[in-house]
Formats: sequence, C-alpha cells, structure tokens
Amino acid sequence: MTEITTAWICLFLPLAATVAIALAGNALGRRAAGLLATGAVACSFVAAAVSFVSLLGHNPSSRSHVSTAWSWLTAGSLHFGLSILVDPLSVFMMLVVSGVGALIVGYSIGYMHGDDEERRYFAYMAFFVFSMLLLVQGGNLVLLLAGWGLVGLSSYLLIGFWHERPSAVAAAKKAFVMNAFGDATFALALFLLIAKTGTLDYQAVFTSAGGLSTAVLALVSLGLLGGAVAKSAQLPLHTWLPDAMEGPTPVSALIHAATMVTAGVYLIVRMSPIFELSPHVQDTAAALGAFTLVAAGLIALVQTDIKRVIAYSTMSQIGYMFLGAGLGAYASGLFHLLTHAFFKALLFLAAGLVIHALAGEQDIRKMGGLRRLMPKTYACFLVGSLSLVGIPPFSGFFSKDPIVAAASARGDAFGWMMYVLALAGAGLTGAYTFRLVFRVFGGEPSGFVRETFDARHGEGPLVMLVPVAALALLATAGGWLQVPGGWSAVSDWLRPVAAPLVEATTSQEALASALSVAAGVAGVAVAWWIYSARRAPAPEPWPELEHKLYFDELYDAVFYRPAATAARLLLALVEGPLVGGSIEGLSGGVRRLAALTRRLQTGLVRTYALALAASLAVLAVVFIAVR
Amino acid sequence: MRGPDVVWYLGVAAVMFSTGALGVLLRRSPLIVLLSLELMLNAANLALIAFSRGHGGGAGQIFALSVMAVAASEVVVGLGLIVAMARRKLALDVDKLTSLRG
Amino acid sequence: MTSHLVLAASAGDALTWVVWFAAALACVASGVAVVSFSNPFYSALALIGNLASLAVLYLLLSAEFVAAAQVLVYAGAVMVMFLFVIAYLGGRADAPWAGGPSLNRVAAVAAGGAILVEVLVAVGLDAGGGLSHPAHVGASFGSPADIGRLFLTDHLLAFEITSVVLLVAAVGGVVLGSHARRLQAEAEEAVPARQPVPARDEPPVEVPAAR
Repeated sequence: MTEITTAWICLFLPLAATVAIALAGNALGRRAAGLLATGAVACSFVAAAVSFVSLLGHNPSSRSHVSTAWSWLTAGSLHFGLSILVDPLSVFMMLVVSGVGALIVGYSIGYMHGDDEERRYFAYMAFFVFSMLLLVQGGNLVLLLAGWGLVGLSSYLLIGFWHERPSAVAAAKKAFVMNAFGDATFALALFLLIAKTGTLDYQAVFTSAGGLSTAVLALVSLGLLGGAVAKSAQLPLHTWLPDAMEGPTPVSALIHAATMVTAGVYLIVRMSPIFELSPHVQDTAAALGAFTLVAAGLIALVQTDIKRVIAYSTMSQIGYMFLGAGLGAYASGLFHLLTHAFFKALLFLAAGLVIHALAGEQDIRKMGGLRRLMPKTYACFLVGSLSLVGIPPFSGFFSKDPIVAAASARGDAFGWMMYVLALAGAGLTGAYTFRLVFRVFGGEPSGFVRETFDARHGEGPLVMLVPVAALALLATAGGWLQVPGGWSAVSDWLRPVAAPLVEATTSQEALASALSVAAGVAGVAVAWWIYSARRAPAPEPWPELEHKLYFDELYDAVFYRPAATAARLLLALVEGPLVGGSIEGLSGGVRRLAALTRRLQTGLVRTYALALAASLAVLAVVFIAVR
Repeated sequence: MRGPDVVWYLGVAAVMFSTGALGVLLRRSPLIVLLSLELMLNAANLALIAFSRGHGGGAGQIFALSVMAVAASEVVVGLGLIVAMARRKLALDVDKLTSLRG
Repeated sequence: MTSHLVLAASAGDALTWVVWFAAALACVASGVAVVSFSNPFYSALALIGNLASLAVLYLLLSAEFVAAAQVLVYAGAVMVMFLFVIAYLGGRADAPWAGGPSLNRVAAVAAGGAILVEVLVAVGLDAGGGLSHPAHVGASFGSPADIGRLFLTDHLLAFEITSVVLLVAAVGGVVLGSHARRLQAEAEEAVPARQPVPARDEPPVEVPAAR
C-alpha cells in the first residue's frame, strides 16, 4: 500500500542524508550539505503528505496499518520487529515534524553560513529529523524508546554544537542527564509491561492492559509520565530547557519548540488507553501541566535574554498541551501542538534574524526600536506574538481555548482549578510576550542598535526570510483547520486513535474563549502600560523569579553536591590507593624484582664461574642420587 | 693390570680437578686463572686415559689428544686477550674488568 | 719358575706402586702449587712439573703416544708460550689470600670441596662395578700405530675437526695480535696530528664539494 511505502521513505530519507554527509566529509561543499539535508527533509514531507492523502482514501475505521520490515530482536518468548505504524496520529506528527523541519533546516543554510562545521550541523539536523520520525512512527514501544533516546542524543549533540564554549557543553550535559532520568523511568515502565504482558506492540499492550492490576497500571503510567515530563521540560524536570538555548537558534526552534519537546504530549496521547485506566496519573499530568504553565509564565516576565523568554514561553505552552492531554482532550492538545509548532518556530526564527542582525547580541535590555529598521521581521514577530497570546483570527486562538473549555467541561473542583490556572496563564502569556515585543521592537533605536545594525545587509538573506514568511502564513491561517462551533477537521482525523474523554458544549467554549482572550488582552495592556507608554516604571523583579524558583539550586544541593562528594571520596579512597596503587604496586614490584635480579650481573667472571661450579655440584648430586 | 686400579687414577684426577676449580674461582690474576684452567683440562685428560685403559679401547686417548689440541687453541686466544689488555694499560685483575655489569 | 715370575711380578707391582705414588704426589703437589703461588712465573713452572708427572702417569696407563705428545706439545710448546707471555708482561705479583674470607671465597671453597667429594663418592660407589676389572690390553695398545689407525679410521671426523680448530686458533691469534698493533699505531698517530691554523690574511682553505 502506498501509505506504507511512503512512510518508510519518509523515515529513512533523512537518515540517508545524514550518512551521506558524514561519509562525504570535506568532499561535499558546505552549501551542498545544507541543500542535501533540506532536500531530504522536504522529500520526507512530500512522502508524509502522500501517506496522508492515501490514508484519507481509507475508511476512518481502517486507517491503522502496521508494517514490519524484519524481526529486530528475539529473546526467548519476546519478539520485537522493526515495524512502523501508519495511522492518523503518526501521520499527523510526521507532517508536523518533516514540514516544520524542512523550513527550519532551510533557514539554517543562511543562519549557519560561514560556520566552520556546517556539514556536521546539517548531518546532526537530518539525524534529529530521522530520530523524531522514528519516535512517532515506531510500531512498538521498543522503537518508540529507541527514537526517544536518539532524539535525546541529537539534542545533546546540537546543544553542544559549539563545543569550544564551556557553557554550551555544560548545557548539553545537563539536558542529557535530565532526559536520562526520564528515560530511566520510561524504561522501567516498559520492563513492567514486558513482565506483566510479555509484549510491547501497541495493540497487544492495550488489549491486555485491562487485565492488569491498578497498582501495575499506575506504576506504568507514572514511568511513562516521568519520561514525558523530562522530555517536555515540565515541572519538576524543566531546568534543562532554558540552558539549551546555548545551541544555535534554528536548533532551539526545531528541537526545543516545535518537535522534541512535544514528544511527551505525543506519548501521553499514544498511550492514552493506559493513562485512562489510571485516572489519578492522568490528573497528575494535567496538574503538572497547569503548574508549569503558570510558573514558566512568571519566570518569563523577568528574563532578559530574548531566547530564554521564548524558551519559558515554550515550557508554558507545552503545559497547555499537557493540560489538554491530561484532561482527555487529546485532539485539542495535539491541535495546539500543531499551531504552537508554527508560531513558536516563527518566533524563534524571527528572533534569530534579530540576533543575526545585531551580531549575536541576545540581551533585550540593549535592544530597542528595531521596528523601523527591520520591518519584515517585526511583522512576522508580531504575527507570532499575537498567535501566542491567542488573539483571533490567529491560530493560537483556535487551539488554546478548547483546552481551557475542556477544563470547565470536566465539572469538578479539579477542573475549575485547572480552569483558573489556564486563564491566569493566558494573562501572563500576554504580559511577557508583549514585554518582549515592546522592549525589542518598540521605542527608539538604542545606542547599541545604532552602532551594530548595518542597514546594507538588510534583514537577512532570502533563504532565511522565506521560511519565516512561510511560518508566518501558517501561523495566521493554520488555526482555521478547526473552528469550535464550525468544523473540526483535526478532532475527526484523530478520533479513531484517541477519542476525547471530555467534550465541551458550545456555550462553555464561547465562555472560555471570551475569558482567555480577555485575559490575554489584559496582559498585553499591562505590558503596553509599562513598556511602551512608559506610564509606570517596571517593577522590581522578585528574587524568586530571577532565580527561576530556586529549582537549579535545589537540584544542585540534592543531587549534584552529594554525587560530586561521593566521586571525590571514591577518587581519594578507591581510585588512588586501589586502582592506581595496584598498578603502581605491580610495576613497582616488577621493578624491585628486576633490581634484585640485576645484582646477579656483577660483571665479574669469578661470580659466573662460581655459579657454574655450584650448579655442577648440585647436578652431580642429582645424577648420583638418580642412578 | 699392574699397580693401582683405574679408580686410584680417577681419585688423583678428581683432586687435581677441584684444585684447578678452586684456582679459577679464587685467583685474581688472569694468567693464574688460565693456568688453573689448564690444570682442570689435564685432570680431565687423566680421567680419559684411565678410562681408556679400563675399557681397553683407544677412544679415550683420541679424545685426550683432541682435548690437548683444543686446550692449546684456547691458550692462544686467552693469552692474546691478556696481551691486548696489557697493551691498553688495563689492570690485569678480573675483579676490575666489570664493564658487563648490569 | 712361577715363583720367580710371581716375585718378579710382585716386585714389578711394588715398583709400579712406588712410581705411582711418587707421580701422584708430584701431580697433586704441583697442582696446589700452581694455585697458590703469587708469582705467575712460579705457577707456570709448577704447571710444567704437573705436566711431567702426568706424563709418567700416562705411561703407567700404557698410553705411550699420549705421554709423549703431552711432553712435546703441552709442556714443550704451550707452556713455553705461557712463559713468553709472562716474561713479556713482567709477571706482576698478585696476593691470592688478601682480603680475608668473603662470601665469594667461602662459596668457592664449598663448591670445589663439594665437587671433589661427589666425584670421589661416585667413583667409589662404582668401584665394585665396571671399574674393578680392567680389560687386558695387547702390546700395541697406546702405540703410535694404534693411535694413528684410530685417528684415520674410527675417529676421522674428530681428527679433521681438531685440525680446523687449530687453524681457527692460529688465525685468531694473528688477528688479535695485529689488531692490537694497529690500535696502538693509531693511538700514537692521533696525539701529534693537528690542523695547521691558517693565518688571518690567508683565505680559508676551500674544500671542493664532492660530486
């Protein structure tokens, strides 16, 4: 069937590009490497689109196909195949990953132009796209875990891309270690599943999940949730995301906004049958999402690095997606994932244009007045910001509000608490987003901008402007895929895979939309009051927010210090005396033995003759005795 | 056979041999060492001749003649070495010749 | 008649014993003398005495040719060479027992004594066996004709190899001697040779590059 063939092509094209770039080495030109990577991801998108169209031709109830290439791992009674799953959810994710990925990789051709190691960058980017596709297309949990780990690896490689910078290396390590914690809980959940059900194929697991005890189900879902929380940078495993901004801006756009960090949401939706059997864990997911939503919004208010503001914003919006998935509004969560990919990538890429034009400066306190100097960038950034805040008719409006409505549709106290938190988050979103817009683009050009900005270079090369424009278009128009009260293309598409647990009524939807738009506008107004109209001075930032709610300090004290002390102790007590000492002892012993033996070489003929005579005497005794 | 048995000759040979061995081990002058070495070789010769008489075959005497020839060659080389040492003004003392010391 | 023969035999026997004792004593004494004298000249002379007494013992063992060869070759040629060298070197004296007993000395005496004891024991143990019945030998035993025949038939290889060894030793001796002479000549040349220092006004001597 076509959709399966094209799905395989979609999966392996980026891998082929990575291998080609890696093997060609310096024989491949830098531009050529970039074009190869972009072309591969773009062809992947075309293949995904063909899969999508082909699936449309099928009956909605028969849109799930598993295709196994060969048997990957056989151990006793366990059997895992190298299989991919082509169903509405995976095709949806494939389109997002390859589509937005192609735009961002194309943008990187301009952004990374002139870097010494461009080829390595494009190889890594293509590898990341392959890993993410493996994650979403994996036909069983083992391949999902494999893709999970590989995206973690790609993230590490790309965050630490400029490896001469110690801060980048530290950030990469931090990201990897925190994700490893999530990977561990994920793996433990899988071990439990293997022990209890003996299989890791989706369908088999879901059918046998009904027979498992509540405790096992809770543990499995908790393990899966742990992995999702780490990968999606939700509280409490969120501290790696702001540091990950050390990587190049396109990396932040692709990995830490559009795709990798949304893998947690994908996991919850994909494993929704398991989560639905442990409602408490699902509620925990929703609660974590809601708290992250508010906390990240608060912290974003005091950030001074343009990329960090957008990073905390990402954290906050993924909180919305977690909230949606946790409440059971899977389609809404995924729709928000789609629109978020558009406008967040747009914001990052536009920020990249700003950073590029200001020769690498990222501190917003030094910026100002870029509105007139970079009008196209300003327009795109504004589109993204309006979409983020959720102002109609931009896409964020259509995707965010159904989640808020779902909280009210739940009806119980928990639902109302989520409702209030989501609305507060909308207000905060408006505030920090437009604080950023007014600081960077509003007012008069600052001294720094006047010195650094060079009007001759324009806003950037065409290869960077075109993807930004495309994303701006998508951010504007993408929301119209699903209009509450009108049509619901996304929900219908995803219904066979993830039927929603709650459905809001039209009036609840309307009320939620009105309230969240009002909250967003209120936030924008506050930002305008302080930063644009300058009617009131900016308040002093709270130290708790400046220290990002002291999470870093907490983890440092609880995890890092003991580990470092233990390592130092082991070095002093074990490594030195035992390991080094044993080798030292061995070599010293050999040396001493050699010194002893050396004393036999006196150089005196008489000693040697004495040795001869003595041995002769001994041998004579032997011969006499033996006779 | 008239006179003492072969055993007695072997006894004399043994005493001569150990005397020569002591000379090799205890003396410092290389000339004396060579002379002691000759003593040991002659003791061996005596033993060979005694055995040859004991068994009645001439092989022992042939062997003894060959030993004599070899001893002569060895003395030539040894004395050549000693003369070379003296020419280079090295001390003729085996305890001082330790350049092969490890 | 037989009593005469027996008397003559016993008298001959006694005479043999006496000669044997004298020669054996001379052997051992001269051996000890070789090892004990501090003057190498005296040691060499003692060795000559040792060789002579050995020749007597060989004669008692009916090995006439070997006895003659011993006196002619060993005492006559090899020891003369020894004496030449000792004379050339000046016969430096060397105190054998200076320094008192050391580990080396004690160990050497122990080893030598052990070897002696062991050989005596070995010989003594076999006394009851194959050594107590010496074979009867004919008149030609030990004669030059006998030796010659053996050399050229049964032991031809030994004969040839021995001659090669002698050749090698002769060549080696010449090489050692000439090498030493050449080295000494070079040592004498190196001392007075020196490059003549060119005067300041003269241009330095140009050495044409070898092509």
